[in-house]
Amino acid sequence: MNVRVVGCSHHGTPIELRERLAFDREETAEALDHWRRVFRNVEAVLLSTCNRVEIYAAGAAELPGGEQVAGFLARFHKLDPAELLPHLYAYDGPTAVRHLFSVAASLDSMVLGEPQILAQVKQAYQAATERDATGPLLHAAFQAATRVARRVATETAIHQHRVSVPSVAVADFARGVFDRFDDKHTLVIGAGEMAEETLRYLCEEGARDITVVNRHFERGQALARAWHGRARPWEELLQALTAADLVIGTTAAGKPVVTLDDFRRVEAAGRKRPLLILDLAVPRDFEAAIGGRPDVYLYSVDDLEAACRRNQAQRDKELPAARAIIDQETGRFMADLYRRASGPVIQQLKDGWQKPKEHELQRLLARLPGLDERAQDEIRLAFDRLLGKLLHPPLESLRDESRNGVPHGLLDALSRLFRLKD
Amino acid sequence: MLSGVHIICFAASYSIVLVLEISRLVFRSGVRGAVMLAFAGAGWIAHTAFLYYRASSLLSSSQDWYLLAAWVLVLIYLYLTWFHPKQHFGVFLLPLVLGLVATARWFANPQPLAREPVSQAWGIVHAVSILLATVSVLVGFAAGIMYLSQVRRLKGRRTLLAPLRLPSLEWLERASGRAVVVSTLMMGVGLVSGILLNVINYRRHDPVLPWNDPLVLATLGMFAWLLAAVVVGAIYRPARRGRKVAYLTVASFVFLVIALGIALGMGLFLRTQHGRPRTAGPRATSFAAPHPSSLSCFHPPAARIGGQGRPLDDSSSAFILPPSSWP
Repeated sequence: MNVRVVGCSHHGTPIELRERLAFDREETAEALDHWRRVFRNVEAVLLSTCNRVEIYAAGAAELPGGEQVAGFLARFHKLDPAELLPHLYAYDGPTAVRHLFSVAASLDSMVLGEPQILAQVKQAYQAATERDATGPLLHAAFQAATRVARRVATETAIHQHRVSVPSVAVADFARGVFDRFDDKHTLVIGAGEMAEETLRYLCEEGARDITVVNRHFERGQALARAWHGRARPWEELLQALTAADLVIGTTAAGKPVVTLDDFRRVEAAGRKRPLLILDLAVPRDFEAAIGGRPDVYLYSVDDLEAACRRNQAQRDKELPAARAIIDQETGRFMADLYRRASGPVIQQLKDGWQKPKEHELQRLLARLPGLDERAQDEIRLAFDRLLGKLLHPPLESLRDESRNGVPHGLLDALSRLFRLKD
Repeated sequence: MLSGVHIICFAASYSIVLVLEISRLVFRSGVRGAVMLAFAGAGWIAHTAFLYYRASSLLSSSQDWYLLAAWVLVLIYLYLTWFHPKQHFGVFLLPLVLGLVATARWFANPQPLAREPVSQAWGIVHAVSILLATVSVLVGFAAGIMYLSQVRRLKGRRTLLAPLRLPSLEWLERASGRAVVVSTLMMGVGLVSGILLNVINYRRHDPVLPWNDPLVLATLGMFAWLLAAVVVGAIYRPARRGRKVAYLTVASFVFLVIALGIALGMGLFLRTQHGRPRTAGPRATSFAAPHPSSLSCFHPPAARIGGQGRPLDDSSSAFILPPSSWP
């Protein structure tokens, strides 16, 4: 009874190779079906993300080794196994379980604490279950992985600090100014990727009223349409600014598109409420002096990146606590796994003693016909207690031995002593 | 058993909670939130028991009034900490609570005041509304200070990730604005009920409070300030947005401190006749400071605070009254 993981990740495998090894949904299903044909009675889960491709295998029988798995992956993607093998790692037993828990808890991710990986692990397990590739061992391992990931998330602050510029802009800065976004006017200046990603976070937070102003009106319209907003021509930038509560600057202009004088005109036009400006453009879209105006909160990409770095440092600080949880849970899972390996022997031992007990009990009660119901119950209870006391020492020894691995020697001794069948 | 509760019991609990709140700025802990709530809850229960054992004469002294204001403020703290556990409300609210308790313990007059039964209802309205107005001003002040702290943090980017966690500016602005409106309404009710009390006393040929009493003038000034702020805010919306509303709450707090200072300093530096203890006899005609023998019918503070004696059953002393600190 063992668990093994074989795979490659961003830690030592170039992205070009990871891309060639990646599995989409259909390929995953096909590969799992193929696995079941090649490695009978070996449970498998195939985890394929941007940063890793891993196969988790488990079973009571001998598990395929690293070379066999490399061959399997190479054949599927029509690659040379020799090219693949140097990049693969293989972990067994507790190391494999610890690795799975670390991956699910996002401790092995490129961005420590990123939240998507747990969903990807769950999806991988779900896909394997749908193809009937999983069994009791991987079921227990992946259930435990989900629980461990949640424990790490709740007992440490590893997920609390965001680390991408758009997410920090919204979670750490915009949330400090606004309580809600559904009643705020959001103005996006520019229509690039950064604008789109920031809008995604803002819309997740409830932003509804979105205006896009872009030099190329058609691109602005496309972005506005994608987020159910409206586009305004570039010439109306200052009017749009007057009505805005939250502004995101993302243009590629070579100089500020809003100067202090422009902003003073906006103020003179009646702008009196707090304004949050997230200037994500380089060079900046807003003159730095605008940040000095009352009720204006202006942040440049430098401010946001500094916050990202501090957040990353905060996450790193949580790493020892998260690892301690992983170690504790790995130990608990493995002890449970080892106990499970002793299960059949324990059950046979109990059953083997139960039959003679029942036989002797029946014989005794038949010889004492005058006993009333209460006396019979007392005798039954005494037999049960005696059996329990006789079984307690061997079972306790099994439990103790199971803490450090499957107690093969003890199981073998018990089987021979009590003539238990395999 | 709870009759043995002393001010120090709940004051100590609140102090521990404040220390725990401050420790949140220094290090993380998984159990601290529960410990804080437990101490604050235990302190509040002790506080409630303390007030309960004075119930028959509750609000009959300046000391009671301060303690009741602190009790309401702790209740607000518990509510906010329960529903917003990540925010550091306690750092701002608990010093105000401890300030009120300390004032009650060392500065406020524990002597109960006697009033005629005819003024009991208006006395309740007057005392409770002024109490709520005061609590609103304190809550508004805390929200205003939090707002200004948050502005400072947001403007100075270096401190943005400092461990102090505050609600958004929008939330704080809303809380400050509502506190100003509530305190204005309550202060208005308190003033009107105070006038009615005076009218009742006048008709009964009892001594009335002169309109030029320093405390009355300070309170009127505060009410005028609050009313003007609310009216201007209603007419001109930007006046109740941003930092303006925070400064308004701070100014209201300053008015409150002045008024309370006048009340506490009465008889020492200023000459106010508001809420002075009166002789026990009906229709007393003098506001002269009570002779110790004239107060003997009231339960002495030591007996009530320590729970070693029972409050007096004398109906003439058992009415809920405004504190000595307010008209």
